Amino acid sequence: MRLQGVRRFHLARDVEEALSLLSAYDGRGALLAGGVDLLRVPGREVEGLIDITRMGLAFVDGAGGRLRVGATTTLTEVLESPDTAHYAGGVLAEVLRAVAVPPLRNMATLGGAVVSAHPWADLPTALVALGAEARWVGDTEGRGSVEELYQGEFRGLFRKAVLTEIRFPPWEGAFAYEKVGRSATDIALLNACCGLGMDDGTIAWARVAVGARPERGERLPWAEEALVGQKAGPALWAEVGRLVESKVEVGDDRRAGGTWRRHTAGVLVARALARAAEKAAG
Amino acid sequence: MAVETRKRGAVGQNVTKVDGPSLVAGKPVFTLDLDLPGTLIGKILPSPHAHAEIVRIDTSEAEAVPGVRAILHFGNVPRVPYTTAGQGWPEPSPYDTVLFDRKVRFVGDRVAAVAAETEEAAREALGKIRVEYNVLPAVLSPEEALADGAPVVHDEPDAEGIYDARKNIAAAVDIPVGDVERALAEAPVTVEAACEIPYSQHCAIEPHCVLAYFDEVGRLVLRTSTQVPFHVRRIVARVVGLDPARIRVVKPRIGGGFGSKQEILLEPVAALLALRTGRPVRMAYTREEVFVSSRTRHPMRVAVRLGAGNDGVLQAVDMEVLSNTGAYGTHALTVLSNVGSKTLPLYNKARHLRFHGKAVYTNLPVAGAYRGYGATQGFFALEVAMDKLAERLRMDPVELRRRNHIRAGETSPIFEKIGEGREGTAQIVRSCALEECLRVGAERIGWKEKRARRREEGPWAYGVGMSCAMQGSGITGVDMAAATLVMQDDGSFRLLVGATDLGTGSDTILAQIAAEELGVPVDRVLVYSSDTDFTPFDTGAYASSTTYVSGNAVLRAAQEVRWQILEVAGAALGEPPEVLELSGGAVESRRSGRRLTLAEVGHRATYVTEQRQIAATASFACPESPPPFAAFFCEVAVDRETGVVRVERFVAAADCGTAIHPKGAEGQLEGAVLQGIGHALYEEMLFAKSGRCVNASFFDYKVPSALDAPRIEAILVPSEEPTGPWGAKSISEIGINGPLPAISNAIYHAVGVRMVRAPFTPERVAAALRLQGR
Repeated sequence: MRLQGVRRFHLARDVEEALSLLSAYDGRGALLAGGVDLLRVPGREVEGLIDITRMGLAFVDGAGGRLRVGATTTLTEVLESPDTAHYAGGVLAEVLRAVAVPPLRNMATLGGAVVSAHPWADLPTALVALGAEARWVGDTEGRGSVEELYQGEFRGLFRKAVLTEIRFPPWEGAFAYEKVGRSATDIALLNACCGLGMDDGTIAWARVAVGARPERGERLPWAEEALVGQKAGPALWAEVGRLVESKVEVGDDRRAGGTWRRHTAGVLVARALARAAEKAAG
Repeated sequence: MAVETRKRGAVGQNVTKVDGPSLVAGKPVFTLDLDLPGTLIGKILPSPHAHAEIVRIDTSEAEAVPGVRAILHFGNVPRVPYTTAGQGWPEPSPYDTVLFDRKVRFVGDRVAAVAAETEEAAREALGKIRVEYNVLPAVLSPEEALADGAPVVHDEPDAEGIYDARKNIAAAVDIPVGDVERALAEAPVTVEAACEIPYSQHCAIEPHCVLAYFDEVGRLVLRTSTQVPFHVRRIVARVVGLDPARIRVVKPRIGGGFGSKQEILLEPVAALLALRTGRPVRMAYTREEVFVSSRTRHPMRVAVRLGAGNDGVLQAVDMEVLSNTGAYGTHALTVLSNVGSKTLPLYNKARHLRFHGKAVYTNLPVAGAYRGYGATQGFFALEVAMDKLAERLRMDPVELRRRNHIRAGETSPIFEKIGEGREGTAQIVRSCALEECLRVGAERIGWKEKRARRREEGPWAYGVGMSCAMQGSGITGVDMAAATLVMQDDGSFRLLVGATDLGTGSDTILAQIAAEELGVPVDRVLVYSSDTDFTPFDTGAYASSTTYVSGNAVLRAAQEVRWQILEVAGAALGEPPEVLELSGGAVESRRSGRRLTLAEVGHRATYVTEQRQIAATASFACPESPPPFAAFFCEVAVDRETGVVRVERFVAAADCGTAIHPKGAEGQLEGAVLQGIGHALYEEMLFAKSGRCVNASFFDYKVPSALDAPRIEAILVPSEEPTGPWGAKSISEIGINGPLPAISNAIYHAVGVRMVRAPFTPERVAAALRLQGR
């Protein structure tokens, strides 16, 4: 049994109220959106639950090739939005379809996924690859790229701040996502998200991220550099795949060993690149 | 195969499950759906050590927690060696368990139990029980357990029935037929295969749970999620020290068991807590406890050596087993025996056989009964070996099976040599449609074309593989079931059976079996089952027994009731019973055409003249155990770059005799196949070096979901089992024996690597591919 110590449940009307409640509980309050990780991770002494799902932070808005998603938008809502389908080659829909099962996607929120940032999760790898930006309100309003947040003490930040929005920049090109799990509902044993922009058959820009290594998804700048300015094609994907296999940092955990992860990282990157290029070509 | 084609009424119809409507409507039908005032919550303190002696236990702080009503531990409960296995008598599993011992033998073993007013109080009390342990070296694999000087798991002097406790051997068998070594040496072709299955759990949706309370006359009622209510009563009485006559066991609807509830786990603890407190006590395992502290499949290594002629006909089969029974030997001997007894008769051409093996103790979770019951492990190795033999002979694997499999009218010496932990019973196979299963299944999957031409698409290589299997229908010389059938004054019927429907649909098919004989629709037969106060004895739902054993008891009772009805009607109509027919809810004279409805018969017998209760109790002991047969075919896709295996399609063609309820039988087959796919691709309990299970939850122990299910085609190939009720034999277990070898063989066809260690994870497949340089 979890959350046994909860005494009060609050429906926050706006960010200010959520923040003031959070501050009043002094570490013994928790923000509740989807509640997935709150239920999953035991051990926290939570006395006050602060529901932030009625603050108008559930929206998907795509304009000018960008995508803005409110933090309490459920993964299902993001997945089903036509804006998502049109963004960056529809990669977010690919990623979200790979997340757990529909009932869980009906609960889990995009903001929750950003904040939980599980290393084995599907979304962090994609958020980093896509250059997503998080916006929050704490003592002051703040913004920062998810990639940079993950390199710092973001967990401390979100204990005292409310994540409000995730913004995805426009990309002239497309992304693709690849994942291996044990079953259809499994977390990733390894995943990769890659994007490409093309200029007359030559690669104008590239983004490569690999996650669940078992560490959280990170970009591989050296792999991106190896792509830019090169002629797109199977030989290049294979070459970059081999490069990734030789250089990617991987490790062992009980779910998979480093040897398999190293090899498979190369395979997944090559596959994601090939599919992204196909989508980018239209 | 000649199949009786006469028209039937209730049998063979997909009638509404008798419990279906209440289940889909969410009625309170399960064990814990009953709320009794004043019920206490019972919880168990698990051992944090794999192997340790309890030096001291101090419960004073725990007792002081408000709401705590009783605490049990080795110091305040009777010490009665027993087995938790819910089996018939004499019990074939060793008496190596006591309710609470001075020694703990695996992480999760029982240390103490608490009953408290609330779950929170119970948990708090568990945390305040102070236990001082003397930690002992542990054995965490069968190999370690068998090594010289290994720590002894069971050194208690009062254990009984352990094969060799000092060597950690719970059970051992060695059954030779002929001279297998010589025959192997002389055989023109020999092959070997050694296959391994890890720890896996049944994962029934409903966890083990029980409600123990005293009724208005002070008798102990155990409302429990069990497959074996009568064994629960017998064993709880002995362990707790109560007169069995003071115990009533009731089994309501169950959310699955798959063998894990053929165990007496929570019942005696709840009973003792209720006795100590005089209050109702409810207990339920958490999912983590289900994984760790209930029961698992026996992890096993099975090595098979085959010797055959150049024509493919087997001359010798050697099967050697190393089974890990975990910390206690529940089902150790019988699962071990079944590895051979349910596999070797399938290919009865070999004159020289040897079946030998050991079940050893380790300081790991306790293995027990699990659908397939050893046959699953045995067929994995046997059918991979058969695939190898076909390859060596350049013979179609289907043809190799055809040349070797048993036929109706034939026998195998194994039937007599290996039984339920003792000698078995000689028997002749009276029905076998395996040849037809092979033909139909091969045709359905497109075996010849797909086998001849392997398909590749990018990194994906496709392959097809197959396997065969058999099982039994009940345990000869052990199983007995009884049924009481009563005709009501309105002409409807009450059927009382000890049989235990654990979600399998047995209440429904038993009603169908009775309705068929009585010539009434199924909804005229009210079934009341699994209540030791009100229903006659039944050994329980295991060993694929219910349709055959309980079904035969029901049929006999229905035949007797039918005759009584004809007698009453004959007297009323003034005609001899011999000229009367019972059908369509009425008795009709073939001679005069005069009719009497069953309502009229019931009314007459109850109120009018020569008043009597039309009723009969009949029983059926299991003289033979007719095997169902099946052929499995599957198509897999293997990603040669990542090692991912996808089952694209699975065809299971099974001969279960007459399918009493075809949809139900197909459901059993499909479910078992999917569970077997779980064994093949996903399921494995993992352990830390301390012996602690590190993935005891659905987050990290994956079972196949609907999203993983491939196209599964269940084909029922009819035969007529002359000893079965309306020609039926079993279907519940056989389906789980097919997927492991069929998928392994299909992977071999696709990419040329033999997967012999389950599950076939991407990492293992990729490693095997790399090893072979592919």
